[in-house]
Amino acid sequence: MSARNSVVVRLAGESGEGVISCGDILTQAAARGGYYTQTFRTFPAEIKGGPCMYQFRLSDEPIWSHGKDVDLLVCFNQEAWDLNWDSLGPEGVILYDSVEVTIPDEYLDRARPVRMDELAKEIGGSTRAKNMVAAGAITAVIDFDTTPIEELVLRRYAHKEGVADANIAALHAGADESADLAGRYPLVPPVEVEEDRMLISGNQAIAVGAVAAGVNYFAGYPITPASDILEWLSVRLPQVGGLTIQCEDEIASLASVVGASYTGAKAMTATSGPGISLMNELIGYAGTAEIPLVIVDAQRGGPSTGLPTKTEQSDLNQALYGSHGEAPRVVIAPVSVEDCFYSIVDAFNYAEEYQVPVILLTDQGLATRLEVIHRPDPDALNIVTRRTSAGIAREDYKRYEYTDTGVSPMGLPGEPNGMYVATGIEHDEYGHPGYTPEIHLGMQTKRLGKLEPVRETSRVATHGEAQPEDIAFIGFGSTFGPVREAVDRLREQGLSVGAFYPRVLGPFPASRVEAFVANATRIIVPEVNYTGQLARLIKAETSINDLESVAKCDGLPFTAEAIMDLAAQEVAA
Amino acid sequence: MSTRKPNDYKSELKPIWCPGCGDFGVLASLYRSMADMDLDPSKTVIVSGIGCSSRLPHFASTYGVHTLHGRPLPVAMGVKLANPELTVIAVGGDGDGFAIGAGHFPHASRRNIDVTYLVMDNEIYGLTKGQASPTSLFEQKAPSTPFGNPEDPLNPLALAIAAGASFVARGASFNTKALTELITQAVEHKGFSYIDAMSPCTTFNNTQESWKDAVTDVAPDHDPTDRVKAFDLALRGGFSLGILYRQERTTQTERYKAILEQAKPSDVNVMLDGFNARKGAAIGKPA
Repeated sequence: MSARNSVVVRLAGESGEGVISCGDILTQAAARGGYYTQTFRTFPAEIKGGPCMYQFRLSDEPIWSHGKDVDLLVCFNQEAWDLNWDSLGPEGVILYDSVEVTIPDEYLDRARPVRMDELAKEIGGSTRAKNMVAAGAITAVIDFDTTPIEELVLRRYAHKEGVADANIAALHAGADESADLAGRYPLVPPVEVEEDRMLISGNQAIAVGAVAAGVNYFAGYPITPASDILEWLSVRLPQVGGLTIQCEDEIASLASVVGASYTGAKAMTATSGPGISLMNELIGYAGTAEIPLVIVDAQRGGPSTGLPTKTEQSDLNQALYGSHGEAPRVVIAPVSVEDCFYSIVDAFNYAEEYQVPVILLTDQGLATRLEVIHRPDPDALNIVTRRTSAGIAREDYKRYEYTDTGVSPMGLPGEPNGMYVATGIEHDEYGHPGYTPEIHLGMQTKRLGKLEPVRETSRVATHGEAQPEDIAFIGFGSTFGPVREAVDRLREQGLSVGAFYPRVLGPFPASRVEAFVANATRIIVPEVNYTGQLARLIKAETSINDLESVAKCDGLPFTAEAIMDLAAQEVAA
Repeated sequence: MSTRKPNDYKSELKPIWCPGCGDFGVLASLYRSMADMDLDPSKTVIVSGIGCSSRLPHFASTYGVHTLHGRPLPVAMGVKLANPELTVIAVGGDGDGFAIGAGHFPHASRRNIDVTYLVMDNEIYGLTKGQASPTSLFEQKAPSTPFGNPEDPLNPLALAIAAGASFVARGASFNTKALTELITQAVEHKGFSYIDAMSPCTTFNNTQESWKDAVTDVAPDHDPTDRVKAFDLALRGGFSLGILYRQERTTQTERYKAILEQAKPSDVNVMLDGFNARKGAAIGKPA
């Protein structure tokens, strides 16, 4: 079989069997070997036990989706087969534990038993290195150089004598097990590149991006799938003179972020849907008191406790409209792991420039998956800081002064001329409580109106035709990858197709969306939720009525193939 | 010698409280205490929640944050952590602090946040017109408890001591001299200082005369460093005015400062290196 430029590998087993660490080490080795990679994981909601799955796709070219048809399915136990057999591609190969798994006869011609438990025990005295036997078996099938894996193993177990050797022995033993399948899915060798690349998750890209943006205060409360931002910054923020605190709940987290930002700090929190629900009152407060801050919402399946470890894009409405009254905010949705880095920088810049709360919407899939990205250059970033009262005379200072931009100078404690009381009660230009019709209308106009320029200037992710004639895809967030991949394939078929992904959903770039679809025969809006929240937003904000809302509510991300099916469905009709 | 006068801390806004409201006495004591300490108004932040007493920041010419119902403590913590140079005073009422905001009180106490918390306790909801509060008495009649309050009141002083507040005192709005001194000691105390300021609501729960008769000073031989005795005093009936408990303990600010000092300085480029996946690149520590 000729070398392929993309391979999809899925590992499945019981949580605790080393499935995740096996996937992690292979992914890291692949990235270090020069491949692009993207992972896709499902987690059990339980701490111990429960089925888990780790999928990764390798390619010598940038990867935009995790892939649908599995080329190589690795089953650590019977349940792994039972739950994952239907993900197997038409020519997919199965590697399975020789003792634990029974494969139906019709699959045996492309299934290979691997003595995972047995060899691990032989080599290391326990089944602990089972996952390295599996890793070795995989490398043989895809012609993957084991050197980077060995380097990583040596590094990981540098302090544990004998463990590294046992793991490497298990790796080689595994490779021997599937030696007869060598070359079944030969992966093309990676292209030699000089550029710097990184292997990073969405949450990590947000955390390090926040540092690049100048964050110096983080408060949070543990919640899946956002907790690793809290944990990562707990270590890193003190290293740059900042501070991370775990609070008693999400309300206290955001309240303390308000307090920190009031003093001039760049402050943020990160949470998921249930946490945002608790924060809504404070989002309205920060909007009214005009306190800059950033909230990351790594969306998960809802409502209520919902699906804590699955993905969904169902907090769009909450992000746009949550909190009583009509409260200003900017809502940003990054479209890829790399974009998470730049979007958190945007988030801080919007917060500082407009003195508003900014909500960054990711989702479980985007937040937790690993991706190879181009290393960002922090020095090339434009970093915005808020307008302050510095240089204004005490008698002239008005915290909530009406200005051309609607943005007023913010007094920071320590500055003698900037003293004021931040308040959520309706107030006049001085911040004094005031409830006249003129004050309320004036201040609502100022607070909501100041964000208007964002509609025209916000970044948009586009792909394909700028004004497609056949199919126009509009979406937000993590569906961009599979849509992008589908756009390429559809254009290869001769169709005029494009994708338009507003990164800022509130305020919505209505006229730019209208321009994008001006010539389109079909407008398809794919999103991972039940009610089609983006489709409704487009209908509310634009003159577009005739669109196909494709809301998918199964806790799983779109694949490029599913987008292709959408495109094909109506063509056939 | 103080160069600032109490009037220097008054804002141009006049308090909106009812005539005779205890909060006037608390505000006067606060002005006087700030003058006694010669606090720099531009380095002083008064943080409040929502309620009659929470309007207070608007009446002071310092920095202020008039937050949401129940949230002054976490906001005050954020202010202090982000800028330890500031003097941070949180104020509010018993409904704000012990009903909707009660979840924050024990955590502020155990963290020993370096903030003074001044609660104007009138045992009633004033701003919403007289409903029972968490410190209202058993069988007290109010619009929301027409058959008498079926609940027992919370004991904020005992709660504060139990949860780890390092300064716990009681004052009264009708004894401004003593209250002024208490506020000064509380602000000068390192760590979380809680003052329960009895502050009668003359409109909905006029306890002024009965409270005046009921208060006693904390006995001169009371040892405020004895936590058990302080707890005993807090649990006993009656109203002892003065410092019930005082403890020297590292503050949250100091503990975070220590974390900062121990941290190995880094920058964003080094952090990005941790994710490096370039072929042949040195293996960094796992990011």
